[in-house]
Amino acid sequence: MPAVDHGAEAVLRRLAIVFTAFERALDATPVIRRLNGGRFELAHYQAFLRAHRQQVKEGALWIARAASNVSVDHLELRSTLLRHAVAEHRDFRLLEADYLATGGAVEDIRSAPMTVGSEALSAWMFHEASKPDPFGLLGAMWIIEGLGSFKAAEWGRSVAARLGLPPEAVRFLSYHGENDAAHIEEFREMLAMVLPDPVVADRIVRTAEVTARLYVLQIEDVLS
Amino acid sequence: MTPALRDVYISGVGEFLPGPAIENADIETYIGRVGGRRSVFGPRALRWNGVQRRHYAFNADGEALHSNASMSAEAVRAALRDARLEAAETGYLAAATTQGDLLVPGHAAQVQAELGHGPMEIASFQSVCGSALMAAKAAYLNVRAHEHDVAVACAGEFSSRWFRPQFYEGADLVDAKGRLRPEADFLRFTLSDGAGAVVMEPRPSGDGPSLKVSWIEIVSLADQFAPCMMAGAPLGRPSEVWGLAGPVAAHAAGGIALLQDFAALKRIIRAWIGVYLQRVESGRILPEQVDHLLCHYSARSIREEIITLLRSTGGMIPEERWFSVLSEVGNVGSASIWVMLNRFLRSGRARRGDKVLCIVPESGRALVGFMMLEVA
Repeated sequence: MPAVDHGAEAVLRRLAIVFTAFERALDATPVIRRLNGGRFELAHYQAFLRAHRQQVKEGALWIARAASNVSVDHLELRSTLLRHAVAEHRDFRLLEADYLATGGAVEDIRSAPMTVGSEALSAWMFHEASKPDPFGLLGAMWIIEGLGSFKAAEWGRSVAARLGLPPEAVRFLSYHGENDAAHIEEFREMLAMVLPDPVVADRIVRTAEVTARLYVLQIEDVLS
Repeated sequence: MTPALRDVYISGVGEFLPGPAIENADIETYIGRVGGRRSVFGPRALRWNGVQRRHYAFNADGEALHSNASMSAEAVRAALRDARLEAAETGYLAAATTQGDLLVPGHAAQVQAELGHGPMEIASFQSVCGSALMAAKAAYLNVRAHEHDVAVACAGEFSSRWFRPQFYEGADLVDAKGRLRPEADFLRFTLSDGAGAVVMEPRPSGDGPSLKVSWIEIVSLADQFAPCMMAGAPLGRPSEVWGLAGPVAAHAAGGIALLQDFAALKRIIRAWIGVYLQRVESGRILPEQVDHLLCHYSARSIREEIITLLRSTGGMIPEERWFSVLSEVGNVGSASIWVMLNRFLRSGRARRGDKVLCIVPESGRALVGFMMLEVA
């Protein structure tokens, strides 16, 4: 067995493995299975947008709450989290615009109820974010931002191609762009702000696992 | 009493590359021009895959100089010579290929017939690049379990046969301007011909370096991914197997040619790295203890993406320990890993006790194989 290592590289390795399992589970959900090769129709994409809008609307808020619980010993991390919250707190508007561009009505996407998976994911995120120095949430960010940098653009291209939609109907998925290398490096720097620390390392990985599981639940619920 | 499992050694390695080395500028002299036109995509494919020279089993007049089976048999003979064994001493032959000379029977039967030295046990392994390690694992287990004292694993490819213009012309793979789709053209400028083989025995060879096989592990993720490199159905429509409409209709639909789905490749690369990192995490692969890495990557750009991810996760084996002959001998599919191993052993880099990790990713339907060797 390798020497036990709780540095950023070792944690990133464990997180990469969690992400692989996450991708595998996502590929097995009904909506992604359809997107990757089954029958995928506009109604499926619209359901995806409706489910995500509620999810994303909450997303920046838990990051902001997490930031407010980061102590003065980790101001740099707090700044980074706040920047993330600012960058993302209007993203749900993009989903609404996409929905409109697909021919959907904005009141429909705004009034759509949260899915069961979304309820569970949000409750978990706010719970974690409410703890003092909630560093475990870096694991949650790895999962959710990993979706942005690794999966979203892929899905966006696929959705546009499968449904023949114009770019303005897939802006939320597309705008994340694909900058895998930069994303990983930036994330490694964030990890280095709180590592090495065995307890924090395990908590980050565990939080990533739980977040991944609940995220899959949310994607499973898109078509339910 | 059941005898204990035996240690297994690669006691001989051989390769066979047909004809002269062909430079990039001369590729289409050998594989031909689709619709009589120069490929527009070809130069891009070459920048992407980094191959500079390769070998073809055709001459410039389009005459076949070899068959897949005859090349494979030549590689087997070379490996047996390297192990200082007589061909008749071989008890087991495992033969790998992507596409054999015949659709039926299996490749191993064809290779055995070429070798022509009596009855033996054989097994055919048809996949893509990873078929080499499937055959190797079978040979390894046969020796390990006392079934045979000399087992040979070979792998051969006659890819260029499938790259002749007739495989594309008249098919739904050529656009109105006569350009072949990149999904088809990429492989024409990436894959080439040749064969490789290894001999496995329960002891090291008397002279020259032998390699103890520490373990071989193959992981397939086919349940997660659609076919990524395929022939037999149009790309993205794998259920339209060619038998349903007959070979003429299948050709017209673009279902006979060998095709590569680029979009899926990126996802598959992440999954491969996940499989690798799991082995690093479990301690099965310790990057700092790997002295030489022989990784059969099929494109330079793939290698670069892999490196970025490995560096940040502590999974990287330093680049100076990577050994590759891709640019000089081309991508010979399943045969590549044996050609690479052969040249590695002859490079003088191997020192007793060195650990050599061979990795063979196969995009076919997302498979990755690992083989850990130790220089004996």
